[in-house]
Amino acid sequence: MTASGQIGRELEAVLPKERIVADTAARRAYDSDAYPIDRHPPDAVVLPETTEEVSRLVRWCVEQSIPYTPRGAGTGLSGGAMAARGGIVISTKRLTRIFEVDAANRMMHAQSGVPNLRLSQAAAPFGLHFAPDPSSQSVCTLGGNIAENSGGPHTLKYGVTYPHILQVVLVDPSGEVWTIGSRSGRAPGPDFLSLIVGGEGTLGIVTEAWVRLTPTPQCVETALVAFPSVRQATECVSAIVSSGVIPAALEMMDKGIIGALRAAFGLQYPDGSEALLLVECDGNDPERIADELATVESISQANGALELRRAQSEAERKDLWKARKKGIGAMGRLAPSIVTHDGVIPRSRLPEMLDFVYQVAAEHDIGVANLFHAGDGNLHPCMYFDDRDPLQVEAVIAAGEAIIARCVELGGSVSGEHGIGVEKSTLLESMFGPDDMRLQRIAREIFNEGDLCNPCKVIPNQKGCVEHRRRSRGVAW
Amino acid sequence: MSSDLIDISTRCIRCGFCLEACPTFTETGLETHSPRGRIYLARSADEGQASWTTVRKSIDSCLGCRACETACPSGVEYGRLLELARSRLERAEPDRHLARVLDWMTRPSLLRLSAALGGLLPGGEAPNPLGPGRTPVPRPQPRGDWPPYEGPVPKRGEVALLAGCAMDCLFARTHEASVRLLARVGLLARPLHGCCGALHAHNGFLDEGVRRAEALDPRGLPIVTDSAGCGGWLKEARGSKVKDLSEVLLDGGLDSDLGRCEPLRLRVAYHDACHLAHGQGIRAQPRALLAAIPGVELVPLAESDTCCGSAGIYNLREPEMANLLLDRKWRHIEATHADVVAAGNPGCLAWLQAAAQRSGSRIRVMHTSEILEAAFSGWSS
Ligand SMILES: Cc1cc2nc3c(=O)[nH]c(=O)nc-3n(C[C@H](O)[C@H](O)[C@H](O)COP(=O)(O)OP(=O)(O)OC[C@H]3O[C@@H](n4cnc5c(N)ncnc54)[C@H](O)[C@@H]3O)c2cc1C
Ligand code: SF4
Ligand code: SF4
Repeated sequence: MTASGQIGRELEAVLPKERIVADTAARRAYDSDAYPIDRHPPDAVVLPETTEEVSRLVRWCVEQSIPYTPRGAGTGLSGGAMAARGGIVISTKRLTRIFEVDAANRMMHAQSGVPNLRLSQAAAPFGLHFAPDPSSQSVCTLGGNIAENSGGPHTLKYGVTYPHILQVVLVDPSGEVWTIGSRSGRAPGPDFLSLIVGGEGTLGIVTEAWVRLTPTPQCVETALVAFPSVRQATECVSAIVSSGVIPAALEMMDKGIIGALRAAFGLQYPDGSEALLLVECDGNDPERIADELATVESISQANGALELRRAQSEAERKDLWKARKKGIGAMGRLAPSIVTHDGVIPRSRLPEMLDFVYQVAAEHDIGVANLFHAGDGNLHPCMYFDDRDPLQVEAVIAAGEAIIARCVELGGSVSGEHGIGVEKSTLLESMFGPDDMRLQRIAREIFNEGDLCNPCKVIPNQKGCVEHRRRSRGVAW
Repeated sequence: MSSDLIDISTRCIRCGFCLEACPTFTETGLETHSPRGRIYLARSADEGQASWTTVRKSIDSCLGCRACETACPSGVEYGRLLELARSRLERAEPDRHLARVLDWMTRPSLLRLSAALGGLLPGGEAPNPLGPGRTPVPRPQPRGDWPPYEGPVPKRGEVALLAGCAMDCLFARTHEASVRLLARVGLLARPLHGCCGALHAHNGFLDEGVRRAEALDPRGLPIVTDSAGCGGWLKEARGSKVKDLSEVLLDGGLDSDLGRCEPLRLRVAYHDACHLAHGQGIRAQPRALLAAIPGVELVPLAESDTCCGSAGIYNLREPEMANLLLDRKWRHIEATHADVVAAGNPGCLAWLQAAAQRSGSRIRVMHTSEILEAAFSGWSS
């Protein structure tokens, strides 16, 4: 029997057979997430349905010294849910119950495998929603959002995931179950919650959470503005923010995206458009929102806008959002594979950063288009290439590293919201000094003794990780 | 339309946006039972990194409902990919029994006979020819059940209305309604006999499916179908001259005629057949027609465009998943407290009918055509 067949069989003592898969097809299907250039198959995949089952599984892994990797929907963009050293993938896709919506106290209790959008749908009858809204919200899970501390287009106004998490149930890397944080939002003692949120699944598996719900604004105004240059669009963003208006969303798309949208969906923008800016203002006072949008309009004009489209209905609003939401998908039509990078820079440096991105892509002969959460300087250069060509895969990795290094030089950060995963685990040191790194390692070791829980992610600290990098990273299809 | 698996599979960027749209994924939570997983595995087999045998379970468990196609931002033509993958699989591991059963199922005379016999069996069930257990057999509808036609004489033109294997034979009353409705918009329906090949194309016999589609002879007339599965396939195989009945009726202005009918006090829930909604993008037309009937209240149906599990012969091949999805669908239907649930595909109708019977529900299952025609010719309860 193969090693994976063996592990699958032994797991049957821990979990019902029908929730264990270890056949060749399953091992292949789970060998990567949405980061397509680093793959490794697990030996088996398991789908627990309760916290207790997760705890039993983790204890079993610890006893057997088998590494395990938590996985939600697998939409992560830095390889976080990939089983770098094999072992077991613990999927949360059967932890999908919503236990309670407590509308009076604006909070909700759910298991970690529930898709983000379903949380908001369940809260909608009460006029509430779960504010973090990654573009992948229709599928990505609550657990994934917590692990990556995900943001979204509306992060500018409502913040990333962290402030919306009140309490989590965590199965730690020894299998013990903890309740961390408090439903009142205030807990005495050290703030462990802030370690777990953003821990990228290296500090344990979140099985349940109490999340904060936010009143859904009653009016929303949306506009899409076209600019002849990225510089003008960026200056417009700065002017909007300094005018005191805080839009709910402020998203920018460059000419690469404009071209992809045109090619894929026939969407038309004025000739000479080099950047699109999507602005959304929301609140409960229609007059105030209309005023805010009027301000945005006049600032746009002052900054040389070519055109401003304002949504007159919900349908038109959805249409304008298409430019943002369908941008990445549109790129899928240009080449077999894409990698979406993620870095942060001070907003004022956006134009020069973008020039740098184009230059790097041209040097490596790779197609690129850029999406940004412009309000907070979070940049997503999206590269498209043929994943069957080893040279192109290498070029994508090299170009990505050059871009991230530049973000750090310009006073920014290696990651805005997609996490470190395996993608950037060697780049952390470019941002943090040795003391910082030591602290991070200590935190990791306290929680994750033996490094069986999601090994080789964020801080690769064992020989197996070097081995993994050498063999699996950047290997063509 | 691409004929190369690789052209389609490499369009997938692994974003996962299709996962929650996929009924087999939401039921199992398994990547191997998701569109992204299936595309990845088909690509792996296609490029020689896995054998077709190892990916068989993943491909077999797919409904072919194409909900993933609607959800995909990257334009992956999943329906086509599945046809190609299944025909590659059939070549790698031929299934002669399936071929025989398909042949038998697509012969109207045999179908009618077995349905008539099945109706006599206790509980209206027969042994499942393609899997374990027993399966419900639809009871054929009566022929000539409508009162004499008193509408306008069709003078505007002619169309070829596909009789197919099931519509004319098991759903005679519905199919007669379709003929009468076409007459009401001025179109004379000439019957188009023969099998369109959809079941073949969707189950690994792509060449045979194409052969059957091409062998149909509409004598130069535009083809109209009242079966979503056939229509979807014929549009793919024969192109744009093929139309679903609801498109033709709405184009012909049937909604304004309906608006002048006597009120029909009905609460109607509309179930989107996959091969109308996801396959042909037809959602609005049937709803607009139903809503045009005075007195009809269209009530919202949760997950209206999620597959009911029937999916061609899927309910025979994968009865367990098919029944899970049927239960899920029927729960949503009962929650609407509708009088009738309408759909535009014979497979869905027969399958939903079985659920209605099993649960002893008073909700009637009807083809959209039957309700529309009842607005003109009277409601029989
Ligand atoms: C097209 C596209 C658009 C995207 N847009 C955005 C965006 O706007 N903003 C943004 O922030 N991200 C975005 N992402 C990235 C991704 O969707 C998010 O990181 C998301 O939160 C991941 O959720 P998931 O359920 O898919 O997690 P997975 O990919 O399955 O896992 C991600 C990480 O979390 C860990 N993990 C998962 N579940 C748990 C758990 N229960 N307990 C502990 N650890 C766990 C995994 O081990 C892994 O390290 C996008 C991705 C795609 C493909
Ligand atoms: S939505 Fe489309 S591109 Fe994304 S994973 Fe599914 S099939 Fe692939
Ligand atoms: S066709 Fe239906 S069952 Fe098959 S992968 Fe697509 S959504 Fe899932």
